[in-house]
Amino acid sequence: MKVKKESIGYVVSFTFAVCLVFVLLLAVANQVTLPQVEANKRFARQVAVLKAFGLAKADAARAEVESVYASSVKELKAPGGIGAAYKAEIDGQAYLAVQVTGAGLWGPITAILAADPEVQRIKGMDILDQQETPGLGGRIGEAWFVDQFAGEKVSPEGTVAVRQGSGKGDQDKENSQVDAVTGASRTSDFVQNLVDSALKAIKELGGSL
Amino acid sequence: MSPEKKVMQEGLWTNNPIFVQVLGICSTLAVTNNLRNTLIMVAGVTFATAMGSLTLSTIKDFMPRKVRMIVQVLVHSFFVIIVDILLRAFLPAASKQLGPYVGLIITNCILMGRAEAFAAGNKPWLSFLDGIANGLGYGWVLVSLAFIREFLGFGSIFGFKVMGDGFTPWTIMVMAPSAFFLVALALWAANTYKAKLGGKK
Repeated sequence: MKVKKESIGYVVSFTFAVCLVFVLLLAVANQVTLPQVEANKRFARQVAVLKAFGLAKADAARAEVESVYASSVKELKAPGGIGAAYKAEIDGQAYLAVQVTGAGLWGPITAILAADPEVQRIKGMDILDQQETPGLGGRIGEAWFVDQFAGEKVSPEGTVAVRQGSGKGDQDKENSQVDAVTGASRTSDFVQNLVDSALKAIKELGGSL
Repeated sequence: MSPEKKVMQEGLWTNNPIFVQVLGICSTLAVTNNLRNTLIMVAGVTFATAMGSLTLSTIKDFMPRKVRMIVQVLVHSFFVIIVDILLRAFLPAASKQLGPYVGLIITNCILMGRAEAFAAGNKPWLSFLDGIANGLGYGWVLVSLAFIREFLGFGSIFGFKVMGDGFTPWTIMVMAPSAFFLVALALWAANTYKAKLGGKK
């Protein structure tokens, strides 16, 4: 008997079969590459942590990053609400870093921020993951933006403001203020909240050690 | 002219997806401010179009017309997700930079356009070639635009600085509006040239 191509039974079973085959293939491809993807994620996180601590060298090879990370960064037990916590000793001074995730415009923003345990000054910051508008809010991942945080003095209230500025980056390390991204006021606000929550977390962490 | 040659010529020039079909313009605007990302995007689109057309043309005799579009979208999504998975595994930096754009290849009209216009009525091998030809036709236009935009916008080619320190980058070239101007100018130039050729015949 010839199967009718437009009969309901055929249409349903054809669609089902096609979906099954392609989804199965995708699942296999995903599983096969999973270890590689995980390794990439781990590497990206290590680079971000080293950047926050100011230990990253530009264009360092993977093996070098891993060895620097292993020798100088200690992973601490993260308190509740914090993604991860790290400790590193640089020139005899201990620094703490936390990985925090907060709301962004389109999706969560994850950043790693390092400071001294008393939270006098930020050591450095790096954005690990963000889905902000490319070309506008997405520029928070660029070097000129994140580098502003390195060495920035934290205000007595324990905050750093992200404000409208010249657009070239705020070079004054004493004013507890960095330049926001032009055309991305909301994203800049979100980054400020995220940085403040990270500073608070480091302060609590520093007090509990 | 052999059908293979004809298919290649149509994709690359006479029926170029950007100049004539005016498809895939969204990604033309979005990813052409840097050559490396453009090349990855072009490779992704070419792969997805060619493989999608090949698959759809192979199963077209079993495909009920009612679910034709659903199956087309499914097949294209499959190949696009494969591209995304490969990028995440082997080119994590590029994957991060291209971000949502890789997934958006699914909505690139070239894929559906070629599936409907060509793969639905032609043999698998020719459909595959048609996908390659259209991918490359889309590609050479994108790469030319990216070359101009990266050169003027960053003063670099493939990330290598080629202009001296005295060079002031044209910031507008990095931003989306410049792609509008350039695509429009390129469309104008290509179609004027084509009209001239036609007039001579």
